[in-house]
Amino acid sequence: MTPLLTADNLVKQYPVRGGMFAEKRILTAVAGIDLELYPGETLGLAGESGCGKSTVARLLTGLTPPTSGSIKYEGRELARMSKSELAQYRKEVQMVFQDPFSSLNPRMRVAEILGEPLEIHRIGDAAGRRDKVAELLTRVGLSPEHMMRFPHEFSGGQRQRIGIARALAVSPRLIIADEPVSALDLSIQAQIINLLQDVKKDLGLSFLFITHDLSVLRHLSDRVAIMYLGRIVETGSRDQVLDRPLHPYTEALLSAIPSIDPGKRTRHVIAKGELPSPVAPPSGCPFHPRCPYAQPVCSEQRPELLEKVPGQRAACHFSEEIFLKETK
Amino acid sequence: MPALLEITGLRTEFRLKTGVLKAVRGVDLTVEPGETLALVGESGCGKSITAASVLRLVPPPGRIVAGSIRFKGEDLLALSEERMREIRGNRIAMVFQDPMTSLNPVFTVGFQVAEGLRIHRGLSAQAAEREAVELLTQVGIPAAKDRVKDYPHQLSGGMRQRVMIAMALACGPELVIADEPTTALDVTIQAQILELLDRLMAEKRMGLILITHNLGIVAERAHRTAIMYAGEIVESAPTAELFENPLHPYTKGLLASLPEFGTPGEKLATFAGGVPDLRGDLAGCPFRERCPIGDDACERETIAMREVAPGHLVRCRKVS
Repeated sequence: MTPLLTADNLVKQYPVRGGMFAEKRILTAVAGIDLELYPGETLGLAGESGCGKSTVARLLTGLTPPTSGSIKYEGRELARMSKSELAQYRKEVQMVFQDPFSSLNPRMRVAEILGEPLEIHRIGDAAGRRDKVAELLTRVGLSPEHMMRFPHEFSGGQRQRIGIARALAVSPRLIIADEPVSALDLSIQAQIINLLQDVKKDLGLSFLFITHDLSVLRHLSDRVAIMYLGRIVETGSRDQVLDRPLHPYTEALLSAIPSIDPGKRTRHVIAKGELPSPVAPPSGCPFHPRCPYAQPVCSEQRPELLEKVPGQRAACHFSEEIFLKETK
Repeated sequence: MPALLEITGLRTEFRLKTGVLKAVRGVDLTVEPGETLALVGESGCGKSITAASVLRLVPPPGRIVAGSIRFKGEDLLALSEERMREIRGNRIAMVFQDPMTSLNPVFTVGFQVAEGLRIHRGLSAQAAEREAVELLTQVGIPAAKDRVKDYPHQLSGGMRQRVMIAMALACGPELVIADEPTTALDVTIQAQILELLDRLMAEKRMGLILITHNLGIVAERAHRTAIMYAGEIVESAPTAELFENPLHPYTKGLLASLPEFGTPGEKLATFAGGVPDLRGDLAGCPFRERCPIGDDACERETIAMREVAPGHLVRCRKVS
């Protein structure tokens, strides 16, 4: 199967200035990542704040151009697309944002919020658009009567439903959702997770799902990629990565999650210290200063993201010694 | 001996133009020395207002209208404001959720940690600063001697939360109230902060009220857990008992809706509807409209907390 979306050695750097007389420095938010997203699959991208996962979303939606590297959609390179091809891309790749309070214009009625993408992409006439808006509201579990209301008249969960309806308006093929349930209360979170799953199943969409919550990640993803300091450190199927991690950072992340099930509580592998600055990343493996297994070589040589078992890749010099020794 | 903290029949209300919002509607809670009590619920359930009531820091137009809050037998609600100030930040301390907005941006962190020591213990500026360095070292801030001169914006989120904890612990409080202390932090940093709190609580035999919506944290850290819904405690029990044998339909629903318990790809359990308007008439059970087992009588009867197993209390008529 050919991938729907491919990212190849994607890099995004931003210039930062420390102060008035300080030297200009470079912040590398995304430090060369490769991604493939296949039709109908959900790829979960996880990592802690500042790891670059939201920058990846902005790059893939074309909201920010990459510093280097390429993005291909159905084999065509984004940077070389014609204006009309780009318009088509923007229609087929839609985004759902984290904060349902700041991502809806408070001065627009729901009918305008959902109608605007239809207008921009010249879909239907006024009456047709109205019907489509009503259909969308029903689709996401709201009622057509809500059409004339403003965002402030809705709860957080309802607003996130409107955000999802807006993404669905132009019949996309891929939805990039950046932390779509993190701002919601527990009982509402489950409703939105169910809605996203229904939408995916009924419409056959592909999803790139960005989250820091590994239990949500496990629930929604087919494949998983774990990011650390601008790089993917591990990728594979959901069960591979979350049940048999091959990177010490994935292990630390998994063991840091407090669990309700006493059976699931493993020994706590606590990552020491904090995330290093992306302005001055550590030499060698970016995780080595915090890694409980680090050896001298880890500070000298950056490990490549290599396939360790079929379908599962990890960027660690010692995956075999640490994680694979028993299975051999 | 009286409990470290005993709250009985606490009611806190907000007089709004649109009506009286009953945020806390008759809460009973007890905390013993060395005990961690988790107070769990979704936004708007009244957990933070309960905490604010203990410190008598309910923001206007909010007001405590009934109940008593006894701290080692002494009724905090009967104290003069001056006496209350001697307790606040000294014997009862608070850790807030967002260290960015709860630290003062224009003072160094050393000054802020030392402030409580100067006010409550009458230490000189130099002695207080030395003590602040000691406290910041205890909460795991490296090179604390240099860090005391930093302003909050120069520290990371995890470090700022450590500063908040150092401030709370400065005067050796007997009770700490932590309102979502790790919600703004990443999981690997959250794990570090929770380990720290655990260690300090055990060492100093402090009582801790841990307010959170993260049930995983509760399951791992709290001795007892109270679940709040619409201003009331609907269930409370020793933590292990609560998670093994949840009885209130709300607690059960909350646990069932967690992705951790779902099968990947399958639907999660949800409940329909939303929380009732706390300004309205709140006769009967506030959960009845969303409840899978409720009946007509739940709408009328006032439902009391009942002890159904040792230490396991539930506010539901349908639970036998």
